This record gives sequence, structure tokens and C-alpha cells, in this order.
Amino acid sequence: MAGTRRESTLADQPEAALEEELRQLIAREDAVPAPLLRAAIDAYGWRTADAELAGLVFDSLMAAGAAVRGSQPDRLLSFEAGGLTIDVEISGTGPARALIGQIVPPRQAAVEVRQRDGVTTLETDQLGRFRSESLGPGPFSLRCRADGREVTTEWVAI
Amino acid sequence: MRAAESGDAAAWQEIVESFSGLVWSVIRAYRLGSADAADVFQTVWLRLAEHLGRIREPDQVGAWLATTARREALRVARGQSRLVPTDRIDLFDVGRPGENPPEQAVLDAEQAALNSDRAARLWKAFAGLPERCQKLLRVLTATPPPSYAEIAAALDMRIGSIGPTRARCLDQLKRRLAGHVSQTR
Repeated sequence: MAGTRRESTLADQPEAALEEELRQLIAREDAVPAPLLRAAIDAYGWRTADAELAGLVFDSLMAAGAAVRGSQPDRLLSFEAGGLTIDVEISGTGPARALIGQIVPPRQAAVEVRQRDGVTTLETDQLGRFRSESLGPGPFSLRCRADGREVTTEWVAI
Repeated sequence: MRAAESGDAAAWQEIVESFSGLVWSVIRAYRLGSADAADVFQTVWLRLAEHLGRIREPDQVGAWLATTARREALRVARGQSRLVPTDRIDLFDVGRPGENPPEQAVLDAEQAALNSDRAARLWKAFAGLPERCQKLLRVLTATPPPSYAEIAAALDMRIGSIGPTRARCLDQLKRRLAGHVSQTR
């Protein structure tokens, strides 16, 4: 990084001292909360090394023209992995939200809804549709098993 | 990275300890309330766990984390699910009990009393800076200090503009601390 710093080291000294003082102040007063550090370490346990990862390809929240404030419209998310799409619609706010999902192309599958408090296992119908009424706030991920394939969606905070 | 990828939990913990300060600083720089900040922080680490082995250059993991933290912070800010807009970073919120042993807390309290006046003035000066400066300085002063590549990823800035902006912002901070409040941005 030396090359990106300004050439005069001497002239930087007072600034560097002030920067260091601010670093120590922030380290003391706004360190990573201990429970979050533990959660980050525990995140390793959620790894699904053998599953295909379905990336987030659409989020209504980030779509152009999406309402930023005011009433909360339903959240639409799409994940994709190798020709398989998982569409999700989340409605409501608060501790128990409704989730409706659809696997495309339609197929029957076992779906795990993964959240920090635990895992809920669901079965889709013949057309690949599934639903849950108890999605909590925070990060969630879906793990789908069908036709010998295992797909995990990228984590998204809702 | 390679060790964590192949199932070494200690290697994972090392990554968390090396970069959690950076990730937290990015989330705080984007001024999320505490519940949203916690969600983004967790999301970033869950994402990394799934992406182990998919990140092409392991030495870029800091920049990858910084970019992911920025994007997810902006995503959650858009949702404003809990609608806690903060126009300042809550630096002096009440302590987090149970984090330090009692004797350490006593030492901390004594040190805090000695430092509080200077610290309060420094914080006030920092809080009065333009938003761009507060953001840069919050990430720049993460512990351990991030690289310029990581800062650039965190704030979607060119690496070349970090040095000059840093100098300008620290100069403004110094002036504010000395009582010369400048209105120029």
C-alpha cells in the first residue's frame, strides 16, 4: 500500500497520530459486539460445501423504481443455479412473515428454510410450490433437494 | 482461506478475527441501526462461509468482505425494516455489560474518566465532519487497519482518491478539534 500513500511521511505525522487516536477511541467505544463475533464464528457451521450455490439474481427492493419508504410491498427474490430458479415472495413484517416459493422448472422437492434460530423443513407440492407462515427477520437461506441435486441459496437479510 | 475451505474451523476463526473489525466499520459507516447492523454483519459471514472455495483470489477476501458488507448494508438500508434512521454513529451508547471482567471494567472506568474530556471533544469534532469524511475515517480507523484496496471496496472509491481525501478529512478533524469550525466541505 506504500505506493498509494502520499510521498511526505514527515508531514503526515500529526495526521497519523490523530488517526491513531481516533482508531483507539472507536476500538474502545464501538468494537464488534461480542455476540456478533460469536455469530460470525458460528456461521462456519452453516456451510454446505457440497451443494450448488444459487446466486441472488433479482431483488424487488433493489429494482429500479422500487418504493424506498412508506408502505412495505411484498419482497420478491429470485435465485438461480444451473438452469434452476427459486422464486420467493415474502409478505408482512414483524416476527412471523409469510413466505411463498416456487421452483422453476416445477418439480417436487424437499426445502429447508434456514434461519439463525433453526431450520424448518418443508415439502413442495407437485408443481414445486412451497410456503411457510413463520419466517422471522434476519438472514435466511433455502436448501432444496430434488432429483439428486442439492441447491443452496445465497443468504439474504429480510 | 484454503484451510477454512477444507474444513479447518480454527482457520475460519482466524479469518473472522482478522476482518470482523473491517466488516463492522463498513456497516457502521453506512449508519444502520443496531438490529439492522447485526443482520448485515451475520449475513456477510454466512455468505463468506458459502463462498469459501468460490473466491478466486484468497488474498482478496478482505476486499470481498468489504464489498459484500457495503452492498448488504445498502440493501437493508433500502428496506429500512425497522426504520431506525440514525444521523450519527452511536459511539457513546451505554456499555455492553458482561464483555469485560470486573477488574478490567474498573481500570477502563478510570481510564475513561481521564480520557473522557478529550474523547468527547474528539467525538464531537468527528460527528461534525461532512458525511463523506465520517465514512472514510470510520473505515480507515478499523482495527486492524485495513488496506487501501479494502477501503476502496468498502466505500466504492478509487484507491487513488483515498490518500488525498484522508489528508483533507484529518485536517478538518484537527481544525474542528482546535475549535476552528470550517463550513467548507
